[in-house]
Amino acid sequence: MSLQLFYQLLVSGVVIGSTYALLGVSFGVIYSTTRTFHLAHSVVYALAAYGAVVGVRSLDLPLAIAALLGLAVAVITGLVIEFIAYKPMRARDATVLAVFLVSLGLTIAAPNLLEIVFGPENRALPGFPIETIQVGTVTFTTLDVTSVIVSWLAIAGVLAFLARTKYGRAVNATRTNPQMAMAVGVPVQQVYLIVFAIGSVLAGIAALLFTMGGVANPTMGLTPVLIGFIAVFLGGIGSTLGAAFGGLALGLAMSLSGLWLTGDFALAVVFGFMFVLLIIRPQGLLGKATV
Amino acid sequence: MTTDGGNGTSTHPFEELVERSLDRRGFIKAGLIAGGTLSFPSLLAACGGGGGGEAGAPGAATVTSSPLNEIFGPGGEAAGAGMDFSDGMMLAITGQGSFFGKVMSRGAKLAAEQIAQAGGPNFKISIADHQSGLVPPAVTGVRRLITQNNIVTLQTSYGAPSEAIIPLIQQNKVLTFNGGGSSPGQLFKEYLWMTRMLFAYDPADGALAWLAENHPDVKKLAVLGTRENGVEAMEEKAPRIWPQLSGGTIVSKEFHEVGATNFSAQIARVRSAGADAVFTVSFGNDLGYMVKQFREANVDIPIMGIEYTDQACEIAGDLYDTYLFATDYYDTGNPNPFNRIFVETHNEKYGEDPEYYGSNYWEQAFVVWDLIRRVKEAGGDPESGEDLQNALEENPTFKSVYGGDASTVGEMAFDLEDHSISKPMGVFSVEGCKPKVLAPIKKVTKDDDPASALDV
Repeated sequence: MSLQLFYQLLVSGVVIGSTYALLGVSFGVIYSTTRTFHLAHSVVYALAAYGAVVGVRSLDLPLAIAALLGLAVAVITGLVIEFIAYKPMRARDATVLAVFLVSLGLTIAAPNLLEIVFGPENRALPGFPIETIQVGTVTFTTLDVTSVIVSWLAIAGVLAFLARTKYGRAVNATRTNPQMAMAVGVPVQQVYLIVFAIGSVLAGIAALLFTMGGVANPTMGLTPVLIGFIAVFLGGIGSTLGAAFGGLALGLAMSLSGLWLTGDFALAVVFGFMFVLLIIRPQGLLGKATV
Repeated sequence: MTTDGGNGTSTHPFEELVERSLDRRGFIKAGLIAGGTLSFPSLLAACGGGGGGEAGAPGAATVTSSPLNEIFGPGGEAAGAGMDFSDGMMLAITGQGSFFGKVMSRGAKLAAEQIAQAGGPNFKISIADHQSGLVPPAVTGVRRLITQNNIVTLQTSYGAPSEAIIPLIQQNKVLTFNGGGSSPGQLFKEYLWMTRMLFAYDPADGALAWLAENHPDVKKLAVLGTRENGVEAMEEKAPRIWPQLSGGTIVSKEFHEVGATNFSAQIARVRSAGADAVFTVSFGNDLGYMVKQFREANVDIPIMGIEYTDQACEIAGDLYDTYLFATDYYDTGNPNPFNRIFVETHNEKYGEDPEYYGSNYWEQAFVVWDLIRRVKEAGGDPESGEDLQNALEENPTFKSVYGGDASTVGEMAFDLEDHSISKPMGVFSVEGCKPKVLAPIKKVTKDDDPASALDV
């Protein structure tokens, strides 16, 4: 094993893992609070990217403004899905399975609709200055640095919100026991909207970071959301920090597996890692064991 | 158009469980949403994106004229005028490869319109979606095309789905062409004919020979690709011929999953192995991400691939100017009169130049038309796949948008033994998302000196 290879894979793992951490928190904050398996988060992800692309390429907006437009689209999409799909189903005491089916339906429909509207072609999001930075034999880009910093700042922001604000405490209360929270006057429906907004912003940030280095296309959303889902369960349901570390661990595992295995085994490593960890520690890395 | 919607009443155990766990209104809503979304792929295929369902030119019982008649002869009854001809397509209408499905179906539908205008049959095109390479929907889709749409011919795509349907097309004698994901596993098969050179395998000799000749300092080669397509070129051909061509060795063999967007691990391993060049058999968007990330990692060694698409160039941008590739590449600037008609009419209809894969599927429709004419002339049944194949085997040469010159239509010829095709190939560079030919190459056999792939 070469040290050069190890250092490069370690750096790459931190970069990928930071994005996965962001995705984990974005999915986890919604799931742990509302118990909604929000697979349609992939729609939010994709629409954020398309929103920014339209902003830059059709509306000639500067990248920063177009990014804000993309985030706005993400939040609106997330809130619309909650308002017209999940909320009415919860009001009718729909089961988790039923809500999941609806979410799955949206996940299947959305890429097809995006394809009808935008076409299947790739859409680049130009404007971010991507330069290569080389430290010794290790290389990374300015976008990689930005992704790491922005991801962890966003995660820190969410943690601070949850720990230090009135609404954050309301989210924690709802997450712990929604009935009790409602009984003591916590506006649970508002809390749900808040977490959908937070989760959607985070997904939007992840989508923008990806698209600035890649492209938007109709099928771009599902894989990131699945990774977010795995990160949540790895890190421990109910633990925002756990979801973040779950994502980081995922990214590091996928990258460092390259020390011994070719890249097509990365997903197998991910699921193997999850399998082993959940057998040993079913509550996840930072989750609390149930009594 | 095929619809497979939920209907709120079902005896499937899973659906019974859902029904019991929901109230009626919630169930109907969930069922409608699920059913509606399950039908979206078919809806997409029926809409402009894929253009599935039955989409053919308007009925053309009357003989009209077209520049194509100067190439193919007059229209009329002998050319199939007034006849409805059921043609199927199996494409990537949804999923990551949907761009391919779009351009392929565009090519075939344009050809269908033009054939009718030229006094040929009315092609009724029905499309099945293999969802970017999945075998189960491919088999189900083709079975539906055969039983419900009674297709006589089929234009297929991708490797694994095409290999999976071989028993179906043979059993039902559906004459099938693949202008997309040709592979060695599809050779020597009755009723299945390739209209492009074997993906990665055929151009590999010329690609590596060009690399060895033009970059004599390159000795240590990394090969990179997926386990889906081009595996034979990676695992058998490159290790065999590279030492002969360059005196070098394969120092790294890296795989990635189809649809990968992060190649950091592969790049790190290639660099760690000290490779002087990369030979890749990856395809689609993967190539764009790969080339971009190699260059962003300051890995400036030559990268030789076997495919070019505008979509990959959209991803890599200016960095794609550093990419080389070898393939049977379609040239929109070819002055061949058949090609000129294609390029001009494609621009009129779609507002842009045709794409490589679109050209193959446009061409294929004319191969079928040519066969229909030949079968009618011989007194056979033009709606018999068997008769059409017999006509092909009698004369395997057809008009092509490849080759030729300003006054001569190009030609392509099927190999009657293995059902492959011979088309001009070349090594290309990229400038501003436009391929530029560097050298012509040719297909060689295992017994030939691989360097002779450059002797064109």
